[in-house]
Amino acid sequence: MSVVVGYVPNERGKAALHAALEETRFRGGPLVVVNSTRADRLVDPRYAQEDGLTELEETLSRAGADYELRHFASRETAAEDLLGVAREVSAELLVIGVRRRTPVGKLLLGSTAQTVILEAPCPVLAVKT
Amino acid sequence: MSILRTQVRDLPAGQLVFPAGVAALAVYVLLGAADIVEPISAGAVGPRVLPYLVGGGMLVAALAALVSVLRGDLAEAEGGEDVDPDRHTSWLTVAALVALFALHIVLIAPLGWPLAAAVLFTGAAWTFGAKPRGRAAVIGTAIAFVLQTVFAGGLGVSLPPGPLFEGVPFLHG
Amino acid sequence: MSLLDGFATAAQPIYLLYALAGVFLGTAVGVLPGIGPAMTVALLMPLTYSLEPTAAFIVFAGIYYGGMYGGSTTSILLNTPGESASIVTALEGNKMARAGRGAAALATAAVGSFVAGTLATVALTFVAPTAADLAVRLGPVDYVALMVLAFLTVGALLGSSVSRGLVALTLGLFLGLVGVDAISGQQRYTLGVPVLTDGIDVVLVAVGLFAVGEALYIGSQLRKGPVHVVPITKGWRSWMSRQDWARSWKPWLRGTAIGFPIGTIPAGGADVSTFLSYASERRLAKGRSKEEFGHGAIEGVAGPESANNAAAAGVLVPLLTLGLPTSATAAIMLAAFQRYNIQPGPLLFENESALVWALIASLYVGNVMLLALNLPLVGMWVKILQVPRHYLYAGILTFAAMGAFAVNFTPADVVILVVIGVLGFFMRRYGYPVAPLVVGLILGPMFEAQLRRALSISEGDPATLVSSTFAVAVYASVLVVMGVSFWLRRRERGLEEVMAAEERAAGEPAATPADRAADKDKEMA
Repeated sequence: MSVVVGYVPNERGKAALHAALEETRFRGGPLVVVNSTRADRLVDPRYAQEDGLTELEETLSRAGADYELRHFASRETAAEDLLGVAREVSAELLVIGVRRRTPVGKLLLGSTAQTVILEAPCPVLAVKT
Repeated sequence: MSILRTQVRDLPAGQLVFPAGVAALAVYVLLGAADIVEPISAGAVGPRVLPYLVGGGMLVAALAALVSVLRGDLAEAEGGEDVDPDRHTSWLTVAALVALFALHIVLIAPLGWPLAAAVLFTGAAWTFGAKPRGRAAVIGTAIAFVLQTVFAGGLGVSLPPGPLFEGVPFLHG
Repeated sequence: MSLLDGFATAAQPIYLLYALAGVFLGTAVGVLPGIGPAMTVALLMPLTYSLEPTAAFIVFAGIYYGGMYGGSTTSILLNTPGESASIVTALEGNKMARAGRGAAALATAAVGSFVAGTLATVALTFVAPTAADLAVRLGPVDYVALMVLAFLTVGALLGSSVSRGLVALTLGLFLGLVGVDAISGQQRYTLGVPVLTDGIDVVLVAVGLFAVGEALYIGSQLRKGPVHVVPITKGWRSWMSRQDWARSWKPWLRGTAIGFPIGTIPAGGADVSTFLSYASERRLAKGRSKEEFGHGAIEGVAGPESANNAAAAGVLVPLLTLGLPTSATAAIMLAAFQRYNIQPGPLLFENESALVWALIASLYVGNVMLLALNLPLVGMWVKILQVPRHYLYAGILTFAAMGAFAVNFTPADVVILVVIGVLGFFMRRYGYPVAPLVVGLILGPMFEAQLRRALSISEGDPATLVSSTFAVAVYASVLVVMGVSFWLRRRERGLEEVMAAEERAAGEPAATPADRAADKDKEMA
C-alpha cells in the first residue's frame, strides 16, 4: 500500500508534500509523487522544471522517504492523471493541496480537488494552505 | 525545435496537387478572360489585358513549381511556436474547423452573432483539445458576449444580437 | 513645422490614450505564441472600424510597433521563434535567459528597439517628405515600373523559391481582379455571385490568410508533448549592468544603420536586416563577447532587435510616399488606409498632411510608451504565455470571424474568409509564402489602373513603358536589387545552417543541468 501525492511547484504543493511525508512515516509504504502537465500551453507554472525537480528530490531524500517520482506530460487533466496513478498503485491515501476560491473562479476553472475527492478510489487528505 | 526548417517527409501527392490546382485555376483565368465583355470605348487596353497577363504568369509559375517538386525540391513547411513540422497532418482537425465555421455562418441569422460565436469558440476549443468540455463552453459563451458587448455595445459595430437578446440595450450596435 | 503640428495632435489626451491602447494591445497580441506582426495588425483591424481616421492610425502605429516588440519577448523567453524576424533574437536571447540573464536580454531588446525605433522615425521624418516631393513628379509609366519592382522583389524574394513566390503573387493578383472593373464597369470572375461584384475585401484576405490559415495549420500539426520553457528565475529586476550598456550601444546604432535602409527597399523586409545585423555583430565581436556568441552574447540581441525595429520604420517610407507596401504588414496597413478612402502616395503629405504627421508623431510617442510599458510588465506578458492553446486559437478564430462579418455585416464575407483561410492553410502546408499574395492583391488594381492610363496616353504603344529615364532606372535597379537580395538570402541561409548545426551540437534546446554546466565550462575555457 502506498500514499500518492499531487505535487505542484508552489506553497500549496509543498504543504501537500509535507503532509504526505508525515502520513508515509506513519503508515509506511512508498510515497508516489505525481506532477503532470497537459502540455497545452507554452508556459505551465504547475509543471516542475529542472530546478524545481532537483529541489523536490532533495526534500524527499532528506526526509528519508521511500519515494517514486512520476513527472510526465499527458493528454488528460491533472485530476485524471492523479486518479490514474492512485488506481494503478492501489493507493491507500491520496494527498492534495487545496485553496480558497472565489465563486467566479470556481465557475471558470472547475476544480481539480473536487474531481479528485469525488472520484478517488481511496480516502483523500486535503491540505489547506 | 532543434532544426529551424524541416523537410516535410511525406509523399509528394499534396505537393503536386497544389501547384496542379493553381495551374488549373490559371487555365480558368485565361479562358475566363475571353468572356469578359470588352466595350468599344475601352480604348487600347481593355479589362482583358491584365487577366491575360495574370493567367499567363500564374500558369508559368505553377508549372515551374510543379517541375521543381518533381525534381525533388519538396517544400519547407512553415515552422512556428506551436507547430511540430514532423507530425503527420491531421486533416480531420482542419475539416472539423471548417465545418464549425459553416455552422457558425448558418447560425448568425437565426441565433444572432453572440450565440453563433459561442458555438464557434466552444467547438474550436474542443477541436484543439480543451478539457473539461463544459468549461470550454462556459468560457466560449462568456467571450462571445464580451466581444458583443465591447464591439456592438461599446464601439458601435453592428453585430446582430439575435432574437433572444433583442431587448438587451448594451448588446446593440 | 508640420511635425510639431503632428505632435500637437498626438499629444491630445484622447490620442495619447489611443496610442497607449494600441501599444498595449499590439504587445499583448504580439506576445501570444504563433502570432506575428502581420497577424496582429490583421486581427486588430476591426478595432479601428468605428474610429475616425486619425485615431485609427494612431492605434495602428501603436499596434505595429507593439507587435514587433511583443514577438521578441516571446523569442527571448521561449526558444520557439514565431516569425523569421525573431529567429536571431531567440538565438542569443534565449541562451541568455537560460543562463539567468533574461532580464538583461529583455532590457537590451527594449532599449535597442526604442533607440532604433526613434532614430529610424527621425530618419523617416526627414526622408519621407523629400521622397514625396520627388514622387509627385512621377507619371503612370514610372508607377508601372515601381510596381513591377515591388512585384518581382516581393514575389521572388519572400519564400523559399522564386516559383512558389510567384505562384502566391499571381494568386493575389487574380483575387484583385475579381469584381467590377473600375474603368470599364465590366464584371470579371464574379461567377454571377452578387457578393463578389464589389471585389474581395483585403481585410478578408489578410485575416483569412494570417489568422484562419495559421490556426488551421497549427491545428493540423499541433505540437504534442511537453513544452520546453525557460525557467523563469527570480531577479527580473536585475536590469542591465554598466558593462551590458557598454556592450549594447554600438550594436543598437549599427542595427539601426542596417535596418532602416533595408526596410525602405523592397528586399525582403525586416528579417533580412536581422540576419545581416547578427552576422556583422558576430564578426565584430572581440574577446569575451566573441566567446559568448552562440552561448548568449548580448550584442546578438541588441543588434538584430534594433535592426528589426529600424526596418519596421523604414518600410513606412515607400508605404507613405509611394503607396507601395513592401511587407505583408505594410500591405495590411495600406488596406486600412484604403478603408478610409485615403490613398497613400505622393499626395498624401499634401492632402492628408495633418493625419500623416499625427501618425509619425505618434510613432515617437508609441516608442516612449513601449519602453515605459514593457520592462515593468514583463511578468504580465509571461502570464499571457500561460493561456492554453485551445482557448488561444479558438479566440483567434472567433475574432477573425467577427472581423470578417463586420466588414459588410453579411455572413457571405465569413464564407470568403474561410475559403481564403483554407487556401492559406494549403499554402503554409506546402511551403508557399503568403505575404506576396497580400501584396499582389493590394497592388494589382493600382498596377492595372496605372498601366492602362500609361497605355491609353500612348494609344497602345507598349514602348511608352520604357520612355522615361526614371522607369528605365527602376528596371535597371530591379536587376541590382534582385542580385543583392539573392546574395543576402544566401548569406541568411548559410547562417541558418550554421545555427542549426550549432544547435544540434549543443543538444536539445531544453538544457539539462548537465548541459548548462557544459556550456559554462565552454565559456570558461
